[in-house]
This record gives sequence, C-alpha cells and structure tokens, in this order.
Amino acid sequence: MSTVIILAPLIIGSWPAISAAVMAAAVGLGLNVSEKVKEELQESEVTNEQVVEVELENSQVLASQVASGKEMVLTKDGITLRVRRDERGHCKVCAEGKGYSKTELKQFAEEFMQKLTQCFVYHRTITELKNKDFQVINEDVAKDGTIRVHVRRWTD
Amino acid sequence: MAQHDIEITISKTGEVRVHIKGAKGKSCMDYAKWLTQLIGTVKDQKLTSEYYEPDEKARIKLQQELKESL
Repeated sequence: MSTVIILAPLIIGSWPAISAAVMAAAVGLGLNVSEKVKEELQESEVTNEQVVEVELENSQVLASQVASGKEMVLTKDGITLRVRRDERGHCKVCAEGKGYSKTELKQFAEEFMQKLTQCFVYHRTITELKNKDFQVINEDVAKDGTIRVHVRRWTD
Repeated sequence: MAQHDIEITISKTGEVRVHIKGAKGKSCMDYAKWLTQLIGTVKDQKLTSEYYEPDEKARIKLQQELKESL
C-alpha cells in the first residue's frame, strides 16, 4: 500500500458536462427526461403544487452562452425535477409534485443530487485515467450503490 | 516496468476514496495531487510504508507527465 485519500468532490464543469451527468443520474434512478433542454425558463404553471429548491453543494456550472436560460426537466411518479444553473453559477434542483410534502420533495431532490454527484465524479475520473493510459481491471456497484473501480497502468 | 494501481470508491453520497498502490517514494504523492485537483478537496489522507521507499527516477518522469496534462 502507498497512500489512501478521502476526497469531497467539487462539481465544476460546463453545462454539457453537467447535463451528461444529469442524464446518467436520471437513468440510474429511473427518471424520465421529458424535456432535454428548454430554451427559456418558465414559471411553474401549476400553483397548488409543493415546490422545493435544493442547491448542489460545491458546484459551479461554468458560464457560457449554452448554459444560460436552459434547464433539464425530469419526471417520476408525479414528481418533476428541474435542473438548472442559477444566477450565481451553482447547479440547482427544483422539485415539485402534487400530493407530496415538502419533506418528501426535498428528500427526492437530495437523493437525485447525490446520484448526480456520483455520476459526475465517475465519468470525470474514468475519462482522465483512461487518458493517462490506465486500464480498467475491475468495476462493480455494491448493493448500497457504491461504485468501485480498479485501474492499472505500467510505467518504465 | 512498475505496476501502478489505483482503487477508486465513490460512495452513494459522492464521497471518494482513492487508494494508490505500487507507486513508491513521492510518485504516489504526484498521483494523489493530480487526482485531488481532478476530483475535489482532501478530507483525510494516510501514508503507508511504501510511500517512504525511494523511487526518484520514476517520480521525476511521472511528475513531468502529469504536469504536461494540466
């Protein structure tokens, strides 16, 4: 053994990189992507729904023309999640759904953001390791959702 | 030829555990630094006996290689 480090992830990337992780997280949690990207943000048309907004900690969606005014809309079991870049550049998830309490919506949004974080870190790390000629030796997902990857490379 | 292994564990909450094996001397620190820049901020780090074994030649080569990619 050499060294073991524990890291708290930072989610910093362009909107395309973030949206790719959003798509992966949506697939992982069985969410439907009803609208991939909206050109303009719109106010929620339904007023009798509970709405909860949760910000993704340590996130930064890099500013670009592509990112401004766009969001991804995901749905499952009557809950709608809207993922977008807020004014400060952070990634924000807004959950709304008729018949759900604010606590339930917050829990759903937080579960989604954890999955989003996991997918973002996985794709970023694996891509960079492969660029450094590392080969994936083993990869598995534990019952609790933990992803384990073993990579290797040979050097002179 | 030296074998460098990295085991990465990404928990459900997104916390990442990186275990670097086979990289002796300061080479493992170069990997650790690179992966930290890539993933996030260090919450905890433990060095093991292999870290203290000398491997200066390999370290300089790796350092140059990782520097070029940043």
